[in-house]
Amino acid sequence: MASFNARITMPAEARAGEIVEIRVLVRHPMDRGGQVDSEGRVVPRKILNRLTVTYAGEPVFRYDMHTGVSANPFVSFTTRAVETGDLTFEWREDGGATFTRTARLVVT
Amino acid sequence: MSSPISPACARPEPALSRREVMAAGVAGLALAAVPASTQAAAPPALAELIARITEGAVPERGRITFDIPQLVENGNSVDVAIQVESPMTQADHVRWIHVIAEKNPFPDVARFNLTPRSGRADIRATLRLATSQKVVAIASLSGGGYVMADADIVVTLSACIDGG
Amino acid sequence: MIPTALILRSRASGVSKDAPERTGPSFETRSAIAPQDEGYGSGKAFWLATALISLLLTAATAEEIKPGSAFLSASMQRQQEDEARNPGWLWVEQGEELFSRREGAAPTCISCHTDPKQSLRGAAARHPQVDAASGKLINLEGRIEQCRVDRQKQPAFGYESQELLGLTAYVASLSKGVPLTVSAEGAAKPYYETGKAFYDRRQGQLNLACTQCHDGLVGQKLRGDTISYGIGTGYPAYRLEWNGLGSLHRRLRACSLGVRATQFDYGSDEYLALELYLAVRAKGLALEAPGLRR
Repeated sequence: MASFNARITMPAEARAGEIVEIRVLVRHPMDRGGQVDSEGRVVPRKILNRLTVTYAGEPVFRYDMHTGVSANPFVSFTTRAVETGDLTFEWREDGGATFTRTARLVVT
Repeated sequence: MSSPISPACARPEPALSRREVMAAGVAGLALAAVPASTQAAAPPALAELIARITEGAVPERGRITFDIPQLVENGNSVDVAIQVESPMTQADHVRWIHVIAEKNPFPDVARFNLTPRSGRADIRATLRLATSQKVVAIASLSGGGYVMADADIVVTLSACIDGG
Repeated sequence: MIPTALILRSRASGVSKDAPERTGPSFETRSAIAPQDEGYGSGKAFWLATALISLLLTAATAEEIKPGSAFLSASMQRQQEDEARNPGWLWVEQGEELFSRREGAAPTCISCHTDPKQSLRGAAARHPQVDAASGKLINLEGRIEQCRVDRQKQPAFGYESQELLGLTAYVASLSKGVPLTVSAEGAAKPYYETGKAFYDRRQGQLNLACTQCHDGLVGQKLRGDTISYGIGTGYPAYRLEWNGLGSLHRRLRACSLGVRATQFDYGSDEYLALELYLAVRAKGLALEAPGLRR
């Protein structure tokens, strides 16, 4: 599989109470299973099935993905800036592997 | 320069859509080109798919905006934007937004779980749609109600694909 | 899905709207399968009209060849320019990492190409070019592989590998906005002539030359697509059809298959010459890799 990488786009700073938009683009083939590869083997389903986002430890967003989510999926959502802290993004892949990234939001 | 043929080129991606068309045909989903005799039992009706996730409640229309192109350029990646009018307070907020594509092999496409800390119920995402169909967005409200919006979309094909 | 060949053939033959009603069920079936036949009228009239329209189009646009992105919907155009949104940047990021990654004792890319944002700006806009040492035409992918094999003493990544796509996308992205300045003169001239001949030659079972669509029918519809000038300034590009990033040669292979012609190998002399011709034809247009395409 191609390397996992994620592009998280959000402001580095926000005023308390401000609603910030967070945009997440991630590299994953989102194999939905049942396709045949170049050697004639059936490709098993392997997708990222969940993205969980916490902000200073508190869950703020969760994206449940099924086979109808595109390859290299994009998602954007909002959260209210409350305190300076890390946003932690955790993707869970079929089979149990997880990938984590963090981004800091400074609240002024 | 002699170069090996990349596995990428042999990957039967175009066959995906073909396979989906086949799968859809087998499942009895209406396709203009498929004679009626080859259609099997009807798929679960959309109302049934909706009732399953709303525990039987019938969602109201309104308060929810569902932006999706009517003419989809490529079903592999379809941009959707969904907004629900909600104060997003502890007492009154959107708990989740669920997307159903009735003719996808797996009609449950995605669910976005929100909290009062979301500030707004405002989501964008890229989805995969097998064929022309009706797509529905349903939002679950903290008060127990549901709202929905739907869209009829047409998936077009690009001209020159690796599989011809 | 309906093969391109079928669509083209049905256009050429046409289904007359005045077809006798007595054809009965078979006609009904046929229109249901190929509703696109409706409205084309008789074949001759269609082709005459097409020829006239294309003559007018050619005359009107001969001086202003537009990049592939000009034929995208407004929303895809915006997405291509949005680095948070265009998945091609995921490959650019991979390439940037590889650029400074050390493998064994080999020098990294960045140890020679220091400050790549400056030193490599414009490099992609000068390829393909004739390699001074070998006298052979070489494109950006070939140049990167050459560096890797000759200078870093590492095994080639292989055309269309994710690593080579990443590095190519990264180096190409450093020239984003730079106008193409590929030369068709001197040592490049014979390659240019070969590429032009390829572009103008009818090929494949559909017996079509590149120029027939990409000069003659620009702006018209083929299946769900709008026919473009066939300009490669967005490559490597993220194509929705591929669910990933791909090279110009991968795109050209899809073109060849589309007209049921021989698909040449990645990095073949045929596609290199064609790539040169396309680049010269696009002279002055800004590079826009990583592009976003359908």
